Amino acid sequence: MIKIEIVRKLITPFPSVDFETQDGAELVFNGHVRATEHGKKITGLEYEQYEGMAEHELKRLAEETVKIFRIHDLYCRHRIGIVKVGEISLHVMILSKHRKEGLSALEYFIAELKKTVPIWKWAMLMNGKKIPSKCHLN
Amino acid sequence: MMKIKIKCFSQVKYALETDELILELESGITTDALQNVIREKANGKLDGISLRVAVNQKYVKANTNLKDGDEVVFIPPVQGG
Repeated sequence: MIKIEIVRKLITPFPSVDFETQDGAELVFNGHVRATEHGKKITGLEYEQYEGMAEHELKRLAEETVKIFRIHDLYCRHRIGIVKVGEISLHVMILSKHRKEGLSALEYFIAELKKTVPIWKWAMLMNGKKIPSKCHLN
Repeated sequence: MMKIKIKCFSQVKYALETDELILELESGITTDALQNVIREKANGKLDGISLRVAVNQKYVKANTNLKDGDEVVFIPPVQGG
């Protein structure tokens, strides 16, 4: 099963599976916003998406990941809007028969997400300004 | 002539100081030619930044022909996660 959600509110993790007979591995990844961006202190990140295409690309990537690594379940919640330092911006849960393919799938999914899904982050600077995170943080 | 909508995100939005542009262009223009127009408008602020192209919400190959009413996004390196 695949579940993809892009949300504007605080991320609630997907619940752990209490009774599972098919899959031996349950992998959870939470990406938090760090207090610094390129060495500068920030108050948070503002994530923006290309609405429609971002969700479509995330779903396409999830389907590809499930197929390549032969895993059963991939759940993903990505937050957009302002995410304060310390809060979760990305939550992924994968269920797989064994840990090896689950770990590989998790690494692949997150690495590809950072290459193809049209979501960007703006650094919220301590002086109140916001700029694309790849730009010089003056 | 044809109308093309360009949606702007991240470094493109920062460089052009707008969320969206609607341009009237000669029929037959390609994504490469439009990218040159956008880079000129950015006045050097997009120099050194690679841009992928999406038309109507899908990634397209270089030099794709555009048609009236298309929505184009020049996609700077993405940063999800």
